[in-house]
Amino acid sequence: MFATLAGKALIPVGLAVTGFMVVCCLILFSVISEDLHHGEIVYATNLADTVLKSTRYAMHKSDRETLATIIRNVGEQKGVDHVRIFNKKGVVTFSAKPGEINRQVDKNTEGCIVCHKGAVPVTNMGNMQQARTFKNPDGMDVIAITAPIYNAPDCSSAACHVHRPEQKVLGTLDIGLSRVERDRSLAMLRLQMIVFTVMSLILTIGGVTALLRRNVFLPVQRLRAYVESSAGLIDPPQPPPHLPHDLDVIASGYYKAKMDAYDRKNCAISVSESSEVHVG
Amino acid sequence: MKDTREHQLSSAADENQDNADRLRRELSAEIDRLRRLSTRGILALALFLVVSIFAWWGFVVLPGPETVTAFLGKPPPARVISIALLLYTFSAIILSLSRMTTGLEHRSSFSHVGFLTGFFLFYYFGNCLEENYWAVFGSGITILGVESYRIWSYCSENISRKKEDMEFVARTGRPPPQE
Repeated sequence: MFATLAGKALIPVGLAVTGFMVVCCLILFSVISEDLHHGEIVYATNLADTVLKSTRYAMHKSDRETLATIIRNVGEQKGVDHVRIFNKKGVVTFSAKPGEINRQVDKNTEGCIVCHKGAVPVTNMGNMQQARTFKNPDGMDVIAITAPIYNAPDCSSAACHVHRPEQKVLGTLDIGLSRVERDRSLAMLRLQMIVFTVMSLILTIGGVTALLRRNVFLPVQRLRAYVESSAGLIDPPQPPPHLPHDLDVIASGYYKAKMDAYDRKNCAISVSESSEVHVG
Repeated sequence: MKDTREHQLSSAADENQDNADRLRRELSAEIDRLRRLSTRGILALALFLVVSIFAWWGFVVLPGPETVTAFLGKPPPARVISIALLLYTFSAIILSLSRMTTGLEHRSSFSHVGFLTGFFLFYYFGNCLEENYWAVFGSGITILGVESYRIWSYCSENISRKKEDMEFVARTGRPPPQE
């Protein structure tokens, strides 16, 4: 296979085209995946901000029932895995899942350790650092955002429950979104890219094969058949018509050489015959 | 007078024989060199696979990305590394195909392993190796595959040419005609 003309022409082309297309698809997939992840974080951050802004008034008024209702309603929304608010001590005070309320959260668990690594917890982080991905107990991929609820002058001076002004963070909102839709989109994209790559590969290899066969292999085959068929003949037939220019030059040269040899032979025979007549 | 002539003829024949032996030795050495060279692409591919296995394990022998970035500074974003990888793959394939077309003997395979290891390391230090591992792997297999084929086909073509030359030398005792 490697020694044939077809093999020599097709192997490097096939390898280079397929490989390059696969690399392009892999890089494109990675970039799209990164963009989707970025979009997810932006969406989750905006949702967390919306929840915080919606609950702010209820927090000022210490209206726990309204706050619980808002959290529960947001949690019922499609694609939301969990919504919970922790107090400063890490106890869940509000949650869309009633079973989680009043539970202490371990600061060393995934998502908490990012801020609670040092002796003093980090209070300012970029959005990307706040986002974390993990599998929930049902085995579903989740992306979660932890948004700090910062102390503000209207919080520390409120009549209902005064926080000390130096207390920077009053609690945190933790909101988790399912990644099922994103995973489904990426799986579909992956499938489409595989199909696209295979189709392009077939087209490239098929196209190159068809062109080579039509323009190179078949004419070479005809030339070879012509040379083989006229090898033993003294008077060769005319070269095959409609050969590509380069092959036509070879065939014509071969025909001319054969005809010259034929003429020389005829000439030699006639000379020897005439000399025999003279001698006779 | 006749003795001198015979002596001259015999010394010329000896010289021819010596020349033919030297040519055969040279051709044989060249064939051995080409045989060794023909495995170069495969060796580079094997080395790349070893590097890829280390990358798959997350370069456990290297210090963590945080340690290195604290010393060297922030790595370029993953997107920039990916663009560089794409350009590098394209250029390397074009270069290899051009060398194949012109029939150049070039031993560039191991330098490609170095470049590809560099890409693995950049992604590793940028904390995005997991997402981009297969892109570097695919690029390496493609480039080194084309290079291996180029080196192998160059060597096998030249080996068969040298063998023909050896037969010519054995038959005629004269150096083969130059193309």
